[in-house]
Amino acid sequence: MEFQLPEINLQLMAPEIFLFLWALAVMAFDVTTKRKSSSTAGNLALVGLAVTGVIMVFTDQGRGFGNMFFNDSMAVFFKVIFLAAAFMAIGSSFGLTHTRILNHRGEYFGLILLSTVGMMFLASSSELISLYIGLELTTIPLFVLAAFFKDDRKSVEAGIKYLVVGAFSSALLLYGLSFIYGLTGTTDIAQIRSILAHSAVAGFNPAYQESTPIMVMAVLAILGGIGFKLALPPFHQWVPDVYEGAPTPITAFLSVGSKAAGLVAFAKIMIMGLYDLYDPSKAPNDWGILVGVMAAAAMIVGNVLAIRQTNIKRMLAYSSIAHAGYVMVGMLALNSLGLASVGYYMFAYLFTNMGAFAIVALIEDRTGSCEIASYAGLSKTSPFLAISMTIFLLSLTGIPPLAGFFGKFYVFAAAIKMAETGSGLTWIYWLVGVGLVTSVFALYYYANVMRTMYFVETDSPLKVTMSPMAVAVIVIGVVGVVVFGLNPQPIVQFASDMPAALGALLP
Amino acid sequence: MNLDTVIFIVSAVVAVFGATMMIAQRNPVASVLYLILSLVAQAVCYVQLSALFLGAILVVVYAGAIMVLFLFVIMLLNLRGSEDLGQPPKALSRFTKYTIGILMTLELVFIIKGAPLKAMATGLIGKAPDGFGSVEQVARLMFTDYLYPFELTGVLLLIAVVGAVVVAKSRKPGDPEETQTEETAGTNTNEAGS
Amino acid sequence: MVPISAYLILAAVLFGIGTVGVLISRNVIVMFMSIELMLNAANMVLIAFSRALSIADGHVIVFLVLTVAAAEAAVGLGLIIMIYRNRATINIDRFSLLKW
Repeated sequence: MEFQLPEINLQLMAPEIFLFLWALAVMAFDVTTKRKSSSTAGNLALVGLAVTGVIMVFTDQGRGFGNMFFNDSMAVFFKVIFLAAAFMAIGSSFGLTHTRILNHRGEYFGLILLSTVGMMFLASSSELISLYIGLELTTIPLFVLAAFFKDDRKSVEAGIKYLVVGAFSSALLLYGLSFIYGLTGTTDIAQIRSILAHSAVAGFNPAYQESTPIMVMAVLAILGGIGFKLALPPFHQWVPDVYEGAPTPITAFLSVGSKAAGLVAFAKIMIMGLYDLYDPSKAPNDWGILVGVMAAAAMIVGNVLAIRQTNIKRMLAYSSIAHAGYVMVGMLALNSLGLASVGYYMFAYLFTNMGAFAIVALIEDRTGSCEIASYAGLSKTSPFLAISMTIFLLSLTGIPPLAGFFGKFYVFAAAIKMAETGSGLTWIYWLVGVGLVTSVFALYYYANVMRTMYFVETDSPLKVTMSPMAVAVIVIGVVGVVVFGLNPQPIVQFASDMPAALGALLP
Repeated sequence: MNLDTVIFIVSAVVAVFGATMMIAQRNPVASVLYLILSLVAQAVCYVQLSALFLGAILVVVYAGAIMVLFLFVIMLLNLRGSEDLGQPPKALSRFTKYTIGILMTLELVFIIKGAPLKAMATGLIGKAPDGFGSVEQVARLMFTDYLYPFELTGVLLLIAVVGAVVVAKSRKPGDPEETQTEETAGTNTNEAGS
Repeated sequence: MVPISAYLILAAVLFGIGTVGVLISRNVIVMFMSIELMLNAANMVLIAFSRALSIADGHVIVFLVLTVAAAEAAVGLGLIIMIYRNRATINIDRFSLLKW
């Protein structure tokens, strides 16, 4: 009757615990101070993120809580992305004059930090249930943040749409996960993988062999649940509406952080757990083609529908659908370059998108408009903003030598490398082809914005005053895009540790 | 046809009936009550599956707390089901939605029916081990093996509380222009639901 | 004796009804209740499998999922209250400001 606690290595969770407590402190600070000094809460939040990053450097990698918490290299890589995304989202909120943010700073920044904590927990989960809870931890603050501008009808609408879609997708995901649990008997991802790998052996649960249709159904349900998060068609309908309605820094955070969280969840469940189902010889259990089709659809839908948008937030929303497609191409490449390319892509996307949205937030706040037409003449009134935006747009298109180009390059290279290995994988060539063609399409609408900034005359040029922090965020974005474009190796090196982590999960 | 089967059929029928009536009602209060009915029937199924603790928890927490929360909100907003819900949706879109849903359900059912789940060889369940599904067993597992998710749900509940307060907190008229001092912060929390 | 697949079928039917509810309901609260129904269907699956495998992990998972559902319901209902105050309507079709 003894009570055997698992081996808890609480020090491995130091960054998460610290950030969580710091988030609470930021919210408490805001409530208890009387004077609304200008940006103390925000500065506090930024300091907290920086300190968390430092703590993370000193935290070991290892397992905690009896195998459930796994701080491996993939977790560390993605945590860096999450922290950086939160940093830049908070930074681009500075200088915004919306009363809701001004009066409720503590809650706003606190919720962003709490969502980041959820993402960090998600990244270091090695077990289905903590993954699911981490996913919920991520999205619940985002529900609230999307609807943060209570008086703005669009924001409220965005919040409710995100809520319904998020809740629906989490129920769908849970349904799939429950079948995975039932058919394998365990929730530990490494064990699931080994059970599925050795399914020929009538070991723990011989149910797998004859329950193929059920497994297909479970995989479909899981893909549906995660597809909503990743904005893959046909689950992409919510993206334009929610991205347009939510406060712009939150849109930025959604587009990078939430997407990276979805990618981590996908990687953990599908690649680590259901790895052996990605095999054409095991059709119809093969989920590769299905995800490939969804990725192709994302690239097509995102790029084509972005062309007719006049609102820059909607345009960037469709562009983020397209980029989700590109990233999934890399995810489908189950070789050492594959996950590393996904990591690099997200890194490049982080700098590009957060910077672009910072500029959008700035201009939206000063002019009250998100229309592309309102960017006219930006090159004259603020050359800094125009040049930065141009750099971001070029990186999104994938023009060398910026980071976006190398992101696409690595992703496609990884996919081609994968297609060369297997026999039934010729469809990957088609996928890369779709990617290349749609990238060319993308040039059209990105160039449209650039044309508006530089070549369209306007009578009422907008004067944009910039807060230092927002400028800093934009500069970080530009620097990141350029530096990591000219010199992608360090990040790729850093990201290359990740595939090894996948192998490490095998018993 | 023994007692087990009869109980299962009755509770399954009641559960499905409750669920169907829930989505078909105009009055949201009636929807909640039908959902509670369905949940209680599901709890009976849980008990049949030897999940004694969870059956009780389902009734107490889910039907008894979460659904009551829904009722609170409906009554707070004074929804009677007679609100103007706009013009009814076009027949084609309703038809499509129903078809999608029903097709999906049928597909799920046939998939499960067709799967000879070998672990449940003849499809019957053996005798449950002693103490299966009891509080002690669930607690033992939760506080040893599943300690980490348990702690995470604690964090989740905290975040939910913060989020709910941020969202639903009403404000005094004229508040957006003022900066919030400690006094208004105190009085704001008294302004529930106005 | 009742086979496990009977419970799984019941769960599938409830899941399907929940999905239909989300698709056809015009009232945000009923939509949310349908989502809760879907979550409960997944719970039923977990309990059924847990019984078949004679391990109680499924029960713990259901317990945690119940908590998650409660948290989500709290925030969701808070949001619904907010939109009702803001728009004085809960009709989901009215939310068409954001369109193509």
